[in-house]
Amino acid sequence: MSDWEPKIIAFLCNWCSYGAADLAGVSRFQYPANIRIIRLPCSGRINPKFILAALRHGADGVWVSGCHPGDCHYIEGNMYARRKFALLKSQLEYTGILEPGRLHFSWISSAEGTKFAEMARHVVESVKAAGPARHFIKKQAEVA
Amino acid sequence: MSDIYIEKGNFIPGVIERLMGRYRVHGPVKNGRFHEFSLLKNAAEADLGFQNTRLSPKEIFHPQAERMFEFSLAKDDPQAGILKEADKDFSPRVVLGIRPCDAKAFQLDDANFITETIKDPWWARRREAATMIGLACDSPCPTCFCTSMGSGPYDTAGLDVLLVDTGDGYVAEVLSERGENTLLVTSGWSSVSSSVRASLADKKKAAERSIAGTFDPAAIAKREMLELYNSPIWEEVQFACINCGTCTFVCPTCWCFDIQEEVYEDKGERLRMWDSCMFPLFTLHGSGHNPRNQKTQRVRQRFMHKLKYYQDKYNSGPACVGCGRCVQACPVNIDIRQVGRQMASPDCACPA
Amino acid sequence: MQVYSEKIREAAKRLLSEKRVDAVIGFRRGTVPFMNEPFLAKTPEQADQFVWDGNCGINLANYLPKMTGNIAIAAKGCDSRSIVIHLLENQIKREQLYVLGIPCQAMTDKAKIQEKLNGRQILQAEDMGGTVRVSGRDFEQTFERADFLQQNCAICTHRNPVIYDELLGEPVKEQEIDRYEDIRKIESMLSEEKRLYFDDLIKPCIRCYACRNACPACYCPTCFVDESKPQWMGKTTDPTDTRTFHFLRAFHVAGRCTDCGSCERSCPVGIKMRMFTKKLEKEVKELYGYEAGVIQDQRPPLDTYRPDDPEPFLG
Repeated sequence: MSDWEPKIIAFLCNWCSYGAADLAGVSRFQYPANIRIIRLPCSGRINPKFILAALRHGADGVWVSGCHPGDCHYIEGNMYARRKFALLKSQLEYTGILEPGRLHFSWISSAEGTKFAEMARHVVESVKAAGPARHFIKKQAEVA
Repeated sequence: MSDIYIEKGNFIPGVIERLMGRYRVHGPVKNGRFHEFSLLKNAAEADLGFQNTRLSPKEIFHPQAERMFEFSLAKDDPQAGILKEADKDFSPRVVLGIRPCDAKAFQLDDANFITETIKDPWWARRREAATMIGLACDSPCPTCFCTSMGSGPYDTAGLDVLLVDTGDGYVAEVLSERGENTLLVTSGWSSVSSSVRASLADKKKAAERSIAGTFDPAAIAKREMLELYNSPIWEEVQFACINCGTCTFVCPTCWCFDIQEEVYEDKGERLRMWDSCMFPLFTLHGSGHNPRNQKTQRVRQRFMHKLKYYQDKYNSGPACVGCGRCVQACPVNIDIRQVGRQMASPDCACPA
Repeated sequence: MQVYSEKIREAAKRLLSEKRVDAVIGFRRGTVPFMNEPFLAKTPEQADQFVWDGNCGINLANYLPKMTGNIAIAAKGCDSRSIVIHLLENQIKREQLYVLGIPCQAMTDKAKIQEKLNGRQILQAEDMGGTVRVSGRDFEQTFERADFLQQNCAICTHRNPVIYDELLGEPVKEQEIDRYEDIRKIESMLSEEKRLYFDDLIKPCIRCYACRNACPACYCPTCFVDESKPQWMGKTTDPTDTRTFHFLRAFHVAGRCTDCGSCERSCPVGIKMRMFTKKLEKEVKELYGYEAGVIQDQRPPLDTYRPDDPEPFLG
């Protein structure tokens, strides 16, 4: 149990957050290696199905990050995303599919390499505290 | 094979416990609002005072979802890519308390799953392993119409034993060798007293009389298929339908299924699950063409299949036993008795 | 409710003979107790079959998407809000519709009444407005309808239609009631308890999709359930797949669900799936001040944004 490392899927928007991840790397900031990044054009592209799919495949945590509202490369993508995220997080926690601490959202611009590393550390710590995900994983159909 | 009698106090739990000692016993169990046919965990669970289950007992032979084959995709596995039949439990089982309509329904399903050339191994082996101990109906539901569909509250088709509730006990009409052998593990039976025997015929008549008659499937069999197919009644029948699939899922003679494969990393399996002709996806071709993309076509198909095509194909009555579940479960009250009446009579355009 | 039956018939006959509409959607008497069948009348003679009582729970707006021609429709409060959603989402044009607004007096929950009868079969049920007289082979009982309302009707705050061309009765008084008491109870549970609660709730699900099909907001030509590239979840009764289905369906109707209760009414195994949709309805109301279909030119919440939208999810 002590050597369990969480697997965290990070959905990053191409223009801001992915750039921040790049900057963090180039600047040699240290952060845990548990993040597996999926690059999207915009945080507005996030479909709740993606997050559910990540959890079903065994992700212990999911992190979604995009441009700051007002600075979206596509002007309003993240504005629509905000409403989706609010409803999604509250519904996931309400139905017990997700324990608190597993799903994280942030706005990180491409100049904020430090913030990226900090947030990464925070996400990994938070998911570690929640423990391995157990209840919403599909490994084999439970059928007759 | 003779009739035997047992007092209720000896049947529950005595007989049921003896059966459970030797077989897996499925019986009617109350779960929430409805009854369902479950694998009994203890004899007290069985509620033989039930009317009928919400879902038909077809789950026992045809589960909503089951694993057919498994395969490995691991690169270093010499057995990779080979479909292996999934382990199943085909041990002997007893279906206790099944109503005559449902037992007849499985005989109708057999025509589909077990033919001269093709035999569905899962269905067939489960059927072969099962002893059907039925329970005659003394208080049929107002939505039952088994007597019009060639069955009846005391019908013995598809059963190995028929139990009749006499109030103080059960008379067991042993109908087959399998039924006789199954009951050998139980005890407490005696011969049927003359007074009880005398009452049986009257009880049967009373039960049959309490079921309202409805359309005659023979009249539908006589009608010309294309004339029925092109009839104007379908436009009106189809409107309320929401293609939800509830009727097909509760029906004991609906057997359609889908086969899909699910793959997880380096393992995979081939699964079978219930499907419904009510869903547009049911007839969607790989090319994108859908021969039944209109709701009217799908609604017509269901009734034609049950009441006309099956009769034409097997010459043995409709693929409907009059259990009435679809009538009870349909959220928009599409009533097969009404549709049947309209199909049987070329002039009938009556709404009720 | 007898009054409504006659009014609907009269209006339908008038509209059909004047050729103002090509068809009228309403209900006709069902063949089993407590049920009415949705019915499309194309001639004034057929319009004689219309009835309206406490068994008109199915949302008739479900039949509207992509209908052609001019259609009149009998719509109670929740139905009318679903019609507004359809208009907002371009599923039908306003010019096509003639809405016969019906101030709703709440629908009866037949399951609740059946429960009270201890297994005795109902042969006949007569809706007398305030009461329901139920009779069987050897019994007769009268119930106060107010004690046996459909769950969504008992807490309804929009009984009067929000859109209509003709209002068929005097508006009824809207209740002031706490709609989310049961939701708050669940919100206060621990995560583990919530999970067990919902697992238990959907355990009987047989994936028949009656809830989806009865819902007026679910009209996608290809439902996410049927998407295969990729397939988001399997079609078996695997518990994880079933949870995914109910979760996503509720999410897809977030801000569009008018709590008409058709989903629960049509479920063959009695699942209370409104426990999923009501939470989202509460969130949408609290976060964005929006109630589905009440204001005719207000976009659904996920279709729009405000620069000052709250961000409770950050962190």
